[in-house]
Amino acid sequence: MSFDSTYTKELPLVESKTSFSEIDNVIAAPMESKPGKTWFLLLALSVTMLLFGAVCLGLTFWFGIGLWGNNQPVGWAFDITNFVFWIGIGHAGTLISAILFLLRQRWRTAIARFAEAMTIFAVMTAGIFPLIHVGRPWLAGYLLPYPNQNNVWPNFYSPLMWDVFAVSTYLTVSFVFWYIGLVPDFATLRDRTKAGIKKALFTILSLGWRNSNRHWQHYERTYLILAGLSTPLVLSVHTIVSFDFAVSVIPGWHTTIFPPYFVAGAVFSGFGMVSTVLIFVRKVFHMEHIITVNHLEKMNKILLATGSIVGYAYAMEFFIAWYSGNPFEMFVFINRAFGPYAWAYWTMISCNVIFPQLFWFKKIRRAIPVTLVIVILVNVGMWFERFVIIVTSLHRDFLPSSWGMFVPTLYDTGILIGSFGLFFTLVLLFARTLPVISIAEIKAVVPGAQPTHKHHTNGQH
Amino acid sequence: MQAGGPMDKKIDITNLVPQENNEQKSEQKEINYWRSFRELHNDPDFLKEKNNEFKEGVTDDFEVSKLSVLSRRKFLALLSASAALAATGCSDYKEKGSIVPYNKKPEEIIVGLPNFYASTCTSCNNACGILVKTREGRPIKIDGNPDHPVSKGKICAKGQASILNLYDPGRLKDPVYSSDRQNHRNIPWGEVDDKIIAELKTNAGSGKEIAIVTHRVISPSYKKLLDEFIAAYPTTKVYSYELFDEGTKNSAWTKTYGRKTYPVVKLENAKVILALESDFLTYEGNAVENMRLFAMNRDVMNGREFNRLYVVEGAATSTGFTADYRMRLRTDAIEEFVLSLLNEFLVKRRISSFASDVRISGVVQSFQLEKFAKKYNLDGKALNALVEDLIKNQGNSIVLAGNKLPESTHIAVNLLNDVLGNTKLYSADSEEIELQPLSQRNDIETLIGSMNAGNVGMVIHAGTNPVYHIAHDYGYTDAVKKVPTVITIADMLNESSEVSQYVLPLSHILESWGDYRTRTNFYSLQQPMIAPLYRSRQKEAMLLTWLRGNKEAFNENLYHEYVMQNWEKNIFPVLNSKLDFKKFWNASLHDGVAYINEKPAPPSTFIPDAFAGLSSRMTASEEYIVLLEEGNLGDGRFANNGWLQELPHPVSKIVWDNYAAVSVQTAADLGVNNNDNIEVLFGERHLTLPVFVQPGLADKVVEIQLGYGRTKAGDVGSNVGFNANVLLTKHVTLSSRFFNNAKVSKVTGTHELVTTQENHAIDESPLLKDIQFKRGIIVESTYNEFKKNPALVKGEKEKVDIESVNREHKYTSFKWGMSIDLNKCTGCSACVIACNVENNIPVVGKEQVKKGREMTWLRIDRYYHGTPDTPQANFQPMLCQHCDFAPCENVCPVAATTHSADGLNIMAYNRCVGTRYCSNNCPYKVRRFNYFNFRDHFNDAYYDKESVNLMYNPEVTVRSRGVMEKCTFCVQRVMDERQHAIEQNRNVEGANVTTACQDACPSYAIVFGNINDKESEVYKHRENAIGYLVLEEIKTAPNVTYFAKLRNTEEKA
Repeated sequence: MSFDSTYTKELPLVESKTSFSEIDNVIAAPMESKPGKTWFLLLALSVTMLLFGAVCLGLTFWFGIGLWGNNQPVGWAFDITNFVFWIGIGHAGTLISAILFLLRQRWRTAIARFAEAMTIFAVMTAGIFPLIHVGRPWLAGYLLPYPNQNNVWPNFYSPLMWDVFAVSTYLTVSFVFWYIGLVPDFATLRDRTKAGIKKALFTILSLGWRNSNRHWQHYERTYLILAGLSTPLVLSVHTIVSFDFAVSVIPGWHTTIFPPYFVAGAVFSGFGMVSTVLIFVRKVFHMEHIITVNHLEKMNKILLATGSIVGYAYAMEFFIAWYSGNPFEMFVFINRAFGPYAWAYWTMISCNVIFPQLFWFKKIRRAIPVTLVIVILVNVGMWFERFVIIVTSLHRDFLPSSWGMFVPTLYDTGILIGSFGLFFTLVLLFARTLPVISIAEIKAVVPGAQPTHKHHTNGQH
Repeated sequence: MQAGGPMDKKIDITNLVPQENNEQKSEQKEINYWRSFRELHNDPDFLKEKNNEFKEGVTDDFEVSKLSVLSRRKFLALLSASAALAATGCSDYKEKGSIVPYNKKPEEIIVGLPNFYASTCTSCNNACGILVKTREGRPIKIDGNPDHPVSKGKICAKGQASILNLYDPGRLKDPVYSSDRQNHRNIPWGEVDDKIIAELKTNAGSGKEIAIVTHRVISPSYKKLLDEFIAAYPTTKVYSYELFDEGTKNSAWTKTYGRKTYPVVKLENAKVILALESDFLTYEGNAVENMRLFAMNRDVMNGREFNRLYVVEGAATSTGFTADYRMRLRTDAIEEFVLSLLNEFLVKRRISSFASDVRISGVVQSFQLEKFAKKYNLDGKALNALVEDLIKNQGNSIVLAGNKLPESTHIAVNLLNDVLGNTKLYSADSEEIELQPLSQRNDIETLIGSMNAGNVGMVIHAGTNPVYHIAHDYGYTDAVKKVPTVITIADMLNESSEVSQYVLPLSHILESWGDYRTRTNFYSLQQPMIAPLYRSRQKEAMLLTWLRGNKEAFNENLYHEYVMQNWEKNIFPVLNSKLDFKKFWNASLHDGVAYINEKPAPPSTFIPDAFAGLSSRMTASEEYIVLLEEGNLGDGRFANNGWLQELPHPVSKIVWDNYAAVSVQTAADLGVNNNDNIEVLFGERHLTLPVFVQPGLADKVVEIQLGYGRTKAGDVGSNVGFNANVLLTKHVTLSSRFFNNAKVSKVTGTHELVTTQENHAIDESPLLKDIQFKRGIIVESTYNEFKKNPALVKGEKEKVDIESVNREHKYTSFKWGMSIDLNKCTGCSACVIACNVENNIPVVGKEQVKKGREMTWLRIDRYYHGTPDTPQANFQPMLCQHCDFAPCENVCPVAATTHSADGLNIMAYNRCVGTRYCSNNCPYKVRRFNYFNFRDHFNDAYYDKESVNLMYNPEVTVRSRGVMEKCTFCVQRVMDERQHAIEQNRNVEGANVTTACQDACPSYAIVFGNINDKESEVYKHRENAIGYLVLEEIKTAPNVTYFAKLRNTEEKA
C-alpha cells in the first residue's frame, strides 16, 4: 500500500472480514467451552495468592496492625499505597468506555468491556484497603454518615471522608455503566443458550431485551448519559484521592499539583494494567483479529502521553520545591532522590518516565513482547510512585528527632500479593462467565458494517 | 440548685387529665349530625342512649381506682426494663468481675477521691521525701513531698517508676526454701522463722559468724536494730556496700579537712561551676536537689544572674551538654588539669596564701596550664574564660569532682576550692550524716576468707544482691556457697538467691515502715500506703522477729511499733517538742519529716600535708580508659522495671541495653561501627559488648553503664544488656568505677542497639547540619545577647499572619497552655516517667521501639550541633502542642480528635477507628498508635496480669489495640479542678492544675496554666520575649511555648 492511502484511510478496527455469527461464536466461546488447563493453572495461582493474602489479613485482624511495618512517623505505608494503586488501575476502564466513547474513538470497542470489568475489580480491591488499614476495622462503619443516638457525624473536613463518597460513587456508577453495556450481550447469550440455570440467569439479566429499535434507541441514550456521568468521575475520584495528601501539612504531600498529577498517573497505570491483561487475553482466547496490534499501539500512545505528563509532574514538583524556597519541601525532595529510599525513587523514575519513552518508536509500540515488558514496568513504577509519595514524605518530616524508617513485613507483602490474587481471580472468573468484548458494539465496527461511499456491501444487517 | 427541688412541686397528673377531656367532650355535643332515622326522629330511647356516651352498662364501673394498676407509663417502664434485662442478660459481654461497694467504709476514703500520704523513697541513698497518691487504698503515683527540705516536692525518674516494682507480677510472693539452693519451693513463714532462729542460736553458740550484708545504713532505727541483733547474737557482723559509693570523695575530704563526709554545697550561690567528670545534674549525688539549685540561676523570669557551668569530662553526659562551656578531656588527665589550674592560681597569679607554702607550690609548679592545654588540645577561649571566671568569682564558684575520680584528684580539687575561697559555699547549716561507714575492701576480704575457712555459719543478704554487685575477683560467689545457711531477702529471685537456701520476700517501700537520716536537721519518715500485697515482710521485721527469738513475735505492726518506741525513747526527748508523743508522731508522719535543731561542727581548715604528702598521683597515659556509669536501672535493682528499661538514655537515647560508648575517632581506630562487638580487657577481667559511637566522648575512653546484664532479674530484666560488674575489681588503683590501661579490641559479632532517635544527628552534610536551628525547632542564643536585647528571639522573627481556612474559635473563658524553659531542662527524663505513670502508658519492648512504636506521650528530643568531636546538644521535651489549628483534627474522618472550648486537643478513644491519618499529619509526631494491645503483646502479657491492673490511674482510660493516643495535658486533672470549681462555686483557677510532667520536673522547667489569665505565670512565660513556638510558620498555633536556650558564654558559639 502506498503511503498516501494508509495515511488517509483509517486502519480497520477488526482485522479480516468477520461475519456476525463468527463474532458471536468467538466471544461466547470461552463461556461455552470447558476451560483449558492454562486457565485452571492461572486460577489456582491467583486463588493461592488470594488465600495467602487472606491469611495475612486474618492474622492482622486477630493481632493488630502491628504485624505490618507501619510505625510512628510512617503511619501509612503498603496499606494506602495499595489503595491508591488499585484505585489508579480502576481509571482506565471508565476512561476507555466513557471518555473515548464521547470522543467517538471507535477503536475502544474491542477493549472497553474488559477494561470496564477491570475497573470494577480494581475498585473492589482498592475498596478493601481503607477498611482494613484502620486499627479497629470492626468500627469502620463510623465513617458512614448515619443518624445515631449520639448525634455524632463524621468529620466532613476530612479527605478520608471524601474518599468514602468518591470511591463508592465511582464504584456504583462504573458498575451500572458496565451492566447497561452488557444488556444487549446478555440477550445474545440468552438466545444462544438452550436451557437451564444459565438461560434463566441470562433471561433475567437481559431485562427482556429483544433488539427492537426502541430498545436500541433507549440503550444508546442511556449509555450516552452514563458516559457523560462517568466522565467527571474519572477525573474526580483520583483528584479526591490526591486530596488525602494535598490537604495535609506534610512536606511532599502538601502540593497543589497533586490532582492533575494523580489523574494522569491513574490513567497511566490503568492503561498499563489493561494492556498487560489484554496481551494475554487476545492470545489465550484467539481474539487477535478483534483486539489487534493497532489497539495495543493506540494504548501505547496513551501510555507515552500520560507517562510524559507524569514525568513532567515529577520534574515540576522538584522545581516548585526549589522555587518556593520552602526548606522543608526542598529537604523532602532531595531526601527522596538521594535519601535512604532513593532506590524506590529511581525505580519509579525509570519505570514511569524513562522506559515508556521507548514508545516514541513505532517498532517498539507494535512489538508485543517489548510492550508487555514495558507495561509491566509501568505497573511496578506506578506502585512505587505511591510508595515514594507516602513513605518518603512521612519518614522524614518536620522534626528530625522523629525520623524513622519503614521496613515491610511478611504481612505487608502478603496482603499486597493477596490483592493481586483477588484481582486476577475476579478477572479470570469474568473471562469465563461474561463476554469479554462487547458483542453488540464490535459488530458495528467490523469492516463492512458501516455504510461507505465507495460501494455498498451486502453484509448482514 | 437544691437537690430534690423538682420533687417539691408534685403534680398529680392522673387527676388533671380526665377533667380536661370531659370539658372538651361537652362542647362537641353541640353539633348535631344524624346517623340514623331513630336519631333524626328523636327517638326517646335513642336520645337516652345518646346522652350517655357509652352504651349502658359499659361505664358502670369505670373508676380510675378500679383500673389496672399498670398505667401506661408503668407499662412502658416495665417493658423497657425487661428489654434491658433481656439485653444485658443475654449479652455475652466478657466477664469483667464485679464491683463491690464497701461494706464498711474506711473513714478516710471517699470513693473516687485520692488520698495523699507522705513517705520516703529509699530506692537510693538520697532518701527523698515522697507524696504518694492512693485511690481506694491503692498507691497509684509517687511524687516528691513538697515539705521535704532536700527534695522539695521532686523525685527522679527511678523514684517515679518504682511504683511499678510494687505491682510487678514477678515479685516473690512467699518465702521459698531449697536445701540444695537450686529448686526453691514455698515454705510457710512459721517454719522459716523457726528454722532460722534455731540456726542463729546454734551459730551464735558455736562461735560461727553470722554475716548480714546490707546496703548503706541510713535509718537510725535499722541501725539500732542491727546493734541489738549483734547484742543478741554476738557472732554477728554487719557488712554494707554500695555499687555507686562516694568513697574517694569522702576519704579525700577526711584527709584534707579531717571530717567524715563531703559537705553540702550551696549550689544556688555558685556563680561559676566547674564540673570535672561529674554528672551532677542527672545521676550523681542528689541530682534532684542539684537540678533545682542549678536551675534557680537559669531563670530569665526571676531576674537572677545566670550562673556559668563549665564541664570538663571524658564521658558524654547530659550535664556536659547542658554546660555553657564543655571541654572534653581524658579522665586520667583531669588531675593534671586541676594541678595546672592550681599552678596558674598559686604560682602565677598568687591569689592565695597557700602560694607561699612550698609544700604545695613545690608540687604544682611543674604543671603549666598552657602546656597542658596544648597537649590535650583544649579550647583556648573556653580555658581563658574559665581561669578568669574562677579568679573573678572567688568565693562564689565551686569545682565539683565526680565520684569516679580517684582520691588524689579529689584532694587536689579540695585544695583548688580552698585556694579560690569557695569554702564559703560549703554549707554551715547542713551536713551529710553517716550512720555507719561502708565496709572497706579488707572487711569484705576478711568475710570471704572466713567463709572459705568455714568460719561463717550464716549469711543474710538483707535486701542486697552481692553475687551480682561484688567484684568477681573477691570470689564471693564461690565463698558464699560454702556457707551452710544463706538467706537472701529480696523482692524477687535474683542472682544471690541462686546461692541461698532461703529466699524471703521483701516488702516494697510503699509497704514498709522506716525512718531515715541523711543530713543534719531532719529525719524522713516512711509509712506504708498499702498492706503487703503478698506474704512479704520488710527486712527489719524479719530481723526483729529473729532477734526476739520467737516466730510468734511477728505481727504486721512489729517494726512499726519498734520504730515508734525508738522514737519515743531515744529521738523524741532530744527534739524538745511541746507536743505529746502521739500527736508529734502523727504530725511527723503526716508531714513525712521531723525537724531537729542541730548545728554541724564549725568548718575546719585545709591540711596542706594531705596534698603535699600524696604518695601517688594519677598520670595520664595513652591507653584506653573505662568509665562505669550509673544509668536508668541504678545498680540493677530496677532491671525488671519495663518503664525504666524503655526510658531512653538522656544522651544516646538507647533503650533496653547498655553499650560501650566510644568517640568517633576511637571507633575509627578500632575499626568498628555501631552495634559491632568489642572486647574490653583488663588481664583476667573482660567483657564483650556492642559499640555505640557517641559524639563528644574523649578519645580512647570507653563509657559503660552498670545495672544491666542481670542473669536472674525476672521476666523483663533478665539478660538485658551486658553485665559490666565483671570489670569491677578489688585491686582498686584509681577508683572503683574508673580504670586505665584497658585493652580494647574489635571482636566478631554484633548486637543490635535500639534508639528512639535516628543517629544521624551529627551529620556534616549541609542538608542536615544545624537543621534544628534552621527549622526553628531549637532557638539558641547567649545570655549576654539576651541582656543586651531581651527581645532577641521575638525581634528576629518575621511576623507572619496567615489567615486560617477554618473558623477561628474565640476562647472567652480559659485556655490551657504550657511553657517549657529549655535553659532549665537537663534531659533527666523524670517527666517522661511521671507521664507514663499518670497516664497508664504501656511498655512495648525493644522490638517495638526498634520499629518506632514507643508509646511515651512525652519524649525528650536531643539535637547535637558542632563537630562530632566537640558537639553541643540541646534537650527539648516534646509533647502534644495542643495547636489551635491542629492538623490532626481536620483530617480525622470520624471526628475522634477535636478541640475543646478550653483549648485542649482531645481524643475520644471510643470513637477512634485508627486510620492514623492524624499521626501522619502531626508536624510534631507526638501521636502514639496502639499497633497491638501492647499490654497483651509485651512479654507474654506480663503487664496484663492482675497485679498491674491495680496500679492504673482510674481517671485515665486504658487504651486498647487500634486506638490513637497522645498527651492530653492531663485532662483528668483539668476536669478535677473544674469539678472543684463547680463544687465551690468559683471560677476555674489555672494555677490549681498541674500536669504530671510539671510536678515531676526537678528544675521547674515546665509551667502550666490558663493563658487567658493575664496574672498567671504561664501567660507571662508565653509573652516573654525569649519564648518561641516550635515550627511557628506552618501556623498550627501551638499552645506550648519554649524558652530559647541561652548559653552563658562570652560570645556566640
